[in-house]
Order: sequence, then C-alpha cells, then structure tokens
Amino acid sequence: MTERELFAKYRETGDLALRNQIVEKYLYIASILAKKFVGRGVEYDDLYQVASLALIKGVDRFDERKGLQFSTFITPTITGEIKNYFRDRSRLVHLPRRVSELRNSIAAAQEELTKTLGCKPTAAEIAKSLSVTEEEVLSAQEAGGIVSLDRPASDEDGLSYYDVLPAETDAFERFEVHDAVSSALDTLTDKEREMIMYRFREELSQAETARRMGVSQMYISRMERRVLEKLREKLKKSMAE
Amino acid sequence: MNKILELSFPLSEKIMTTVRLTAGGVCALCGLDLDTSEDCKVCITESLLLLLHRGYRDARICFSRDERLYIRIGGETPGEETGSAEDEISLALLGALVGDLSIEREGGKLRSIAFSFGKQA
Repeated sequence: MTERELFAKYRETGDLALRNQIVEKYLYIASILAKKFVGRGVEYDDLYQVASLALIKGVDRFDERKGLQFSTFITPTITGEIKNYFRDRSRLVHLPRRVSELRNSIAAAQEELTKTLGCKPTAAEIAKSLSVTEEEVLSAQEAGGIVSLDRPASDEDGLSYYDVLPAETDAFERFEVHDAVSSALDTLTDKEREMIMYRFREELSQAETARRMGVSQMYISRMERRVLEKLREKLKKSMAE
Repeated sequence: MNKILELSFPLSEKIMTTVRLTAGGVCALCGLDLDTSEDCKVCITESLLLLLHRGYRDARICFSRDERLYIRIGGETPGEETGSAEDEISLALLGALVGDLSIEREGGKLRSIAFSFGKQA
C-alpha cells in the first residue's frame, strides 16, 4: 500500500490497528529528530518519547489529499513539540512567556532609566517607558524566578519550603487550615479584608480593586504585600502551636 | 551587513563538531540566547549534510550580521552525489527552524543554503 492509500484508508475507517501500523512505519522520523536535539540537557529517551507522541497526534491530523508528503508534514510538527518541551522544561515553575519577557524588559529599562534620571525609576516611569500599565510592571516584578524547595522558608526556624509547603490534605487537615485562615483574617482591618476579598475571592486586578476602594493602585500593591506578610506570620504561628 | 567570519573546509562528517563549536562562538558573539544558538547549530549541521550528500567535497560558511545573524553555506568542488533518505527530513527541519530559508540551486542541484537568526525585523 502506498503512503497515500494507507492514510486514505485510515481516514475512512479510523482503524486503530492501521494507525499503529502507520506510527510504527514512521517512528524512525521521531528517532532521527530526537537525536538532532540531544545535547541540550534532555536525555534522548525523553526526546524520543515527546517526538513519538507528536507523531501519533500528527498521524491523526494528516490529510493526504493536500498533496504533502507525510515526512514533510510531520517534521515541523515533531520539531515544534520538542521545542515546546524545551521551553516548558526551562522553568520549574512556569511563568507565562509574556511575563518572562516583560521581566527582562523591566530590568533593561530600569538600568537605562537609572542612568538617564540619575536615580532609581518608579514603577510608573518604567511602565511609561515600556508602554505598559503600572500594574503589569508590578505584577511582573512580583512573579519572581525559580525557587529551590531546599531554600530556607525563613531565617529563624530553619525550615525549608519543602517542609512548609502543603502536601495533599485530608478532610480534618482542611478543616484545620480553614480555621487557621479564618482566625488569621480576623486580625485584619476592615479595609484589608475588603482588599483580600476583591483580590483573592473575586480575583479582581489590582487596578480594579483600587478603583472600587477609591485608592491608588500603588496603595493596593503595598497593602497586599503587607497583608500577605501579616497572614503568613500569623499562619506560621498557628501551625507551630 | 558586516562579515564576521568565513570558513572554508573539506566537507566530511568528522569536521561537524568543529564547525558546530565555531558556530556556537559566533552566536554568542552576536548575543543570541542558548536555545537559538542550538537551533542555529542544528541548521548548519543539516545544511552541511545536505551538501555532503550532493557530492560536494568542500564547503564554505559565511557568517555576517546587521540586526540579525546571517549564515550562508555553499558547496564547493562538486563530486559524486550520494543522496540520503534523510535529506527530506533535513530540509523539513530547516524549514521548521528558520523562517527565511533560502536555497540556491544550479542546474537543479543544490548549491547553497542561507538563513538567519535573531530578532525579527
């Protein structure tokens, strides 16, 4: 059976045995392409697996009536999947690409503006120079980089993030956490609780929260940082008790 | 466009590592990130393999730059064409990794391959 006939038959019948046959026939392409990307810190076996999955998806998407050879069609598909894999793997905690790029632009703008202004620029000045909103600048700065689980969570008790980050919890633990959060929230002022409700319950932006509360976005940004710190301290104490 | 480096060498599989290392150095000089630099090295290797399978005994690579890094790889000293079943994959891979792939042919035979890397204009 020719390539065209094989794909035409699979498209007509949807026969999985036929799909397996096609995948096996072209698995060598996955192997060749995986080898081309070895040496970037990922084992061949992992790349081969990514490439093979892309091949399976590609077999389903390929339309032989468009006149393209399967190898010409599947090579960019597999290459794209491998590159996506590298990109996703490059951050342990995924930052959206836009945020990542914005963080780089902010660092460059900060350096440039420090030279021209003779002092450190404000978030507003950076935002203006990059033609983005002040909130975008503040959010990107707060996004942070990769943090090791072994890094100390605080300077005092010697606990690492691994020790304090929650694992899967049972119902009783969930109840305890709920109780701890409620009592921590009780220590906040009315305004602080209002801000928390807008930001984390209604998931509003800092700008929208500021608008509703009749204050500036910078004020919300500072308040949020302060309140979260306060809650963190309170929760840490109740966990220790 | 400013020429950075031009390499002329006998075309064989043994020289690939040396050429890849040199290409990596040029990419670093041009400020390309590691991922782009790796893609560039893959494209250079694939281009050289294509020329090798077309029977060329020597190759010449020219690296030049303005806003982007431009690479032109030409085959020299024609010889007997061997071809490879993987050539089609090499061409498709080049097409997948660069947006401005340009292939020059002479009498139907592949003569040179050119592409660029860097920020889009």
